[in-house]
Amino acid sequence: MGEVNCEGRSTQEINAEIKQQIKKGATEILVRNPGARHNLGVAILERVTIRLDGSVGYYCGGLIDGPNFEIAGSAGWGLAESMMNGQVVVRGSAGNGAAAAIRGGTVVIQQDAAARLGVSMKGGTVLVAGNCGYMAGFMGQKGTIIVCGNAGEAFADSMYETVCFVGGRISELGTDAVVEQPSGSDAEFLDSTLAHHLPPDLRKSKPAGRDFKKIVSGRKLWNFDKREWKTWQEAL
Amino acid sequence: MCGILGFLDKTKNHEHSSLGRTLLKMLTALACRGPDSAGVALFGPSTNDRFVLKVKLGNHGGAGLRAERLLGLLKSLGAGGHEFSTVAAYARFVVDGGTDLTNLIAAIESSDKELEVVSVGRNLEIVKQVGSPANLERTYGISQFCGTHGLGHTRLSTESRVDLSHSQPFWSHGRPDLAIVHNGHITNYHKLRRLYQQRGVRFYTENDSEVVAIYLSDELSKGRSMKESLHAMLRDLDGSFSSLVATSTQFGFVKDPFALKPLLWAETDGFVAVANEEIAIRSALPGDYQVREAEVKEVRVWER
Repeated sequence: MGEVNCEGRSTQEINAEIKQQIKKGATEILVRNPGARHNLGVAILERVTIRLDGSVGYYCGGLIDGPNFEIAGSAGWGLAESMMNGQVVVRGSAGNGAAAAIRGGTVVIQQDAAARLGVSMKGGTVLVAGNCGYMAGFMGQKGTIIVCGNAGEAFADSMYETVCFVGGRISELGTDAVVEQPSGSDAEFLDSTLAHHLPPDLRKSKPAGRDFKKIVSGRKLWNFDKREWKTWQEAL
Repeated sequence: MCGILGFLDKTKNHEHSSLGRTLLKMLTALACRGPDSAGVALFGPSTNDRFVLKVKLGNHGGAGLRAERLLGLLKSLGAGGHEFSTVAAYARFVVDGGTDLTNLIAAIESSDKELEVVSVGRNLEIVKQVGSPANLERTYGISQFCGTHGLGHTRLSTESRVDLSHSQPFWSHGRPDLAIVHNGHITNYHKLRRLYQQRGVRFYTENDSEVVAIYLSDELSKGRSMKESLHAMLRDLDGSFSSLVATSTQFGFVKDPFALKPLLWAETDGFVAVANEEIAIRSALPGDYQVREAEVKEVRVWER
């Protein structure tokens, strides 16, 4: 396993060394003492596992396409922003805008997520074992948001086709957000996703798939001309 | 952007505490958020019911001459002015607890338009200047300061002048031992300013952050607790803001209803630390602890 020690080094030097080790063929890299530095591990496009043994700052794992990140601490704003594919797991909590604008892949936050979780998602899955803050899912176009705990105000505001599931209480639904009864296949999907991504002890304390609420767009805000419908369908 | 931070030492070893060192490390980590100015509000040991005054000696030179005149003024007023000293742009002196502070401050500030009382408190001392945290340390040696708690700020000016007066932290101008730091925009600032000015409150700057200190001072004067005052701020101040406040006995924060400004906090048996980037907490305070992001409309207050 490759190793990169962040102590006394700039973010640029750390990221350059991570990329250097990947180039040399490393498939697992331990990043020690990240010290909440910003922009760690951005724009990595290879299938490599990167373990960070502490907390990270802003935009960790942003713009990635394929790698697997494991963050032992918490993460600052913009975790995995605009990720194309891969997996980012945070043992702690994540700041504002986690998984914002992701196109694919999976983001797992084992504690809480702050405001604007998964805003403008265009694919992928984000799973929060704890609670999420204000305005999660805002303008989400595709993908899935799962919050096992409670959700904050303006939840799922102005969404397109993102589908949200909440295991706890929703402080307030956003504009055009509606609650639906989850189907049997929704419950199966939730049970298998939680079992796959959460450690067994953590999974035990979360609701069963059938007990989640499903939140989707009411489609009242949609304003597409019918002539564009085919283009829109293809884009989805 | 601006960097804001606060630190409360929960140990009882305040005579030898690392307050100054910790604040400097946190401030340095946030230097990139605010290259225009840096400052700290330090809460030190009690001065036996006496007040410490920090007076800005002017933005345009002539500090030595103004210091001499200020000392003369204090003597002529019979205000004491014990332990009078000057460092760079500031004079510092101590007055007795029974001093009429309102009259003294008015006399000082009316004697020379360049003079401004930057802080007054039994425990509070504010040091701020244009430039980086490294410059602040070189000029004032803030790392040597011992005490219980403090606030820090690095400023990126967006709307008002870059000078010492417009730098943060802000003292509330009138209420001893109340200081704030703020990151954000108070969008109803002009309206609030007009309301306070109609009541005779003097504004020293055109920085919207100043109104936060004035507002909190006003709320506390109505008999509200710090927690109640911070909750009221969510109702009465519009915009995006994360603000920290400290008095000689309390330390707290408020985060805006839109959650637009970052704010993180950590608490252990030994300390409470708050900053708008986690890197500021981690770089100053090694160890295994959790840093949490403040929630929308979250208010927290700690007692010293």
